[in-house]
Amino acid sequence: MSEFPSAIFAANSNPALITFLLYTLAVFGIAGLSNQLLKGRSFLSEYFLGSRSLGVWAFALTFAATSSSGGSFTGFPSLIYTHGWILALWISSYMVVPICTMGLLGKRLNQIARISGSITVPDVIRDRFRSVSLGLLAVLLIVFFMSFNLVAQFKAGAMILKTLLQDVAVFENSARTLGSLTSGVSLFGDDPQYLLCLISFGIAVIIYTTYGGFHAVVWTDVMQGVVMVIGVLIMLPLTLDAVGGMENATQEMAQMQPPAYRKLVLTPRDADSIPASLPLGTWLTVPADSSDELPRIFRLAEPARFEQTGRAFVKALEIKTTNERERFVSQNPHATEAATLTANRIAVSLTDEEETAAYGNDQSGSYVTGPGPSKSNPNGFLPLSLAISFFFMWSISGSGQPSNMVRLMAFNSSTTLRRSIFTVAIYYTAIYFPLVIIFCCARVLMPGMEVESDRIMPAMAVFITENAGVGWLAGLLVAAPFAAVMSTVDSFLLMISSALVRDIYQRNMNPDVQERTIKRLSYWCTLIVGTAAMFGAMNPPEFLQNIIVYTGSGLAAAFLAPVAYALYWPRVNAVGAMAAMVGGFLAHLSMYVAGMFVNDSFFNPYRLFDFDPILVGLFSSFLAGWVVTKATPPPPTDLVQRYFGKQTA
Amino acid sequence: MSDTSALELPNDFEFDDTFLHSRKEALIILGIWFVCLLWTIPYCYLNGFADPAAETTSIATVWGIPSWVFWGVGLPWLLADIATTWFCFAYMKDDNLGEAHEGADLEEQHEMAEHAEDQA
Repeated sequence: MSEFPSAIFAANSNPALITFLLYTLAVFGIAGLSNQLLKGRSFLSEYFLGSRSLGVWAFALTFAATSSSGGSFTGFPSLIYTHGWILALWISSYMVVPICTMGLLGKRLNQIARISGSITVPDVIRDRFRSVSLGLLAVLLIVFFMSFNLVAQFKAGAMILKTLLQDVAVFENSARTLGSLTSGVSLFGDDPQYLLCLISFGIAVIIYTTYGGFHAVVWTDVMQGVVMVIGVLIMLPLTLDAVGGMENATQEMAQMQPPAYRKLVLTPRDADSIPASLPLGTWLTVPADSSDELPRIFRLAEPARFEQTGRAFVKALEIKTTNERERFVSQNPHATEAATLTANRIAVSLTDEEETAAYGNDQSGSYVTGPGPSKSNPNGFLPLSLAISFFFMWSISGSGQPSNMVRLMAFNSSTTLRRSIFTVAIYYTAIYFPLVIIFCCARVLMPGMEVESDRIMPAMAVFITENAGVGWLAGLLVAAPFAAVMSTVDSFLLMISSALVRDIYQRNMNPDVQERTIKRLSYWCTLIVGTAAMFGAMNPPEFLQNIIVYTGSGLAAAFLAPVAYALYWPRVNAVGAMAAMVGGFLAHLSMYVAGMFVNDSFFNPYRLFDFDPILVGLFSSFLAGWVVTKATPPPPTDLVQRYFGKQTA
Repeated sequence: MSDTSALELPNDFEFDDTFLHSRKEALIILGIWFVCLLWTIPYCYLNGFADPAAETTSIATVWGIPSWVFWGVGLPWLLADIATTWFCFAYMKDDNLGEAHEGADLEEQHEMAEHAEDQA
């Protein structure tokens, strides 16, 4: 087993900053090139749909990168670290995600969009059913869900950047200056580092998306997609080398027990030199009763702030597994620091207040078996019902995401679609399964990271590259998370803008609008929507991760059934499609509203028969669409002829 | 979903090939999805979920991966990739998606507006 590098996060600083700057330059260059393409083509079709001209690499990688949001490189690694091998089952339906999300609807959706000349998803729905009200409902739902999601994604982007740039001197100084300029203005929040990251990230994304349109988004997605897969493929062998092989890592994990959280009382040994605080993540050791026993090892789960009395009450994580404690004492440089701190400066006493895992407490093996340890769920992290829900969620509900549907309207031929499904299948295999391996190994290599598990990706990147003597590589590896979140944000931004310009203004208010006006409106709309989302994220509401989950599954519940019916069921009519859309939206929403009464929180939804609300939403949507269609008159014959009859060349 | 019983289509109506092929392909995809679901979830549940009271300090592995993950997730993942490759290169048809009728929707909108005015 290799030794801990001494200053994990400090070393992270410059590669991350340089990578971010190079990245920003590259995306601006791409936006400039894309803007050239806007000349001499139908502006709207080019700006919002890339003139339906995407080839294999562009289509495959933009699809893959947009689907992999920042969560793939922050939340997902954090979950693997926290719950162990069960995440392989949690993510397992990615084995069929490419074929489902691209193959189920792709060819027909592309064909129907070509027949009608549609540029956006609401366009398709409105034209296919010849229904203005259905088109408007689609626009409203997209704008509603995506606006919240966009704010959440901006926050995610800023948080990732802040994580990556922590400890960079230039960044800290700039944040301090910004903080002094904005102090007292409530709009800007009270965290200048976050604000600086949000502004840098936001301005970069807004400018390149506004200026370059769809092609800029696609090309940056291609670059970001390549960075993501290269990052993962480099990390895998370095991690296996650092951990001493996969077998070693798994057997060590088999012996681990989930940590406990305990309230500690910290008292300075010298009453005259009381420290102001101790930062989150500080290691502390408490000597054992007998000298031949290992000390107890704690890591602060929150900053310790010392009161007037000189004491601090603080929550800390305790490493419980004997193997982990042995390794910490013998190999981790923090061990000496912790021992010195507790011996000379801080006396630590334990209270009776202890939080143990609701599932897996004191149980070896919970990290290598199902349902995985859980802090809050007594049934474990992934009980059977949730395993089924997630298998459904990733593959089937992914097909119902409007952001994916837009891409399905943009490829140039069915040959491209075939080759792209294959490419994305290989791409996801190369990313998701290795991520599970890498961050299971991280459990062994970096104990105690539960207190800041969202930082596990950059922390591992720095750890393994330093360990292999190639510290400069860390920059490339840490680029993957912000590449992922950037590629999601730019797509959502363009979708909202297209809904406003195309679906509301041109289709409903001024069909005869001049192309020059449309062009100006599109630029302004993208700029204003992006800026508004950035301001929204300055003081973001709580529960942002939950908002992302709610909006993502809500969109699928509202859109999958009407679009699937529109493509494959000639008998479906506008009323039936409307019922499917409203039915799915309301059924899904009702599970969340019920959560307010049953679980005291909107974001802790009621789970009917223990299944996720997405299943209830999808089932209700398909059922409502079918029943209402059957009970109402068939659609006009010419509409069926147009979209289902033999097409003449 | 090809119910046309209540539709009054002309006698010479023929479904478009792209529609027919896409529908068949969608059914195959759902079949692949279902087989993967039937393999992965029950296998992992039966072989990978521990008895809550049991202590596990070592675990059977294949190439260092817990065996229930290897056989329950890794192998079907590999086979799903093979099925995807077969589907993409041996089954899925290269259909003509047609020319894009840019602006067709706006033209139709104009026609409908004029028609409504005439009727009024």
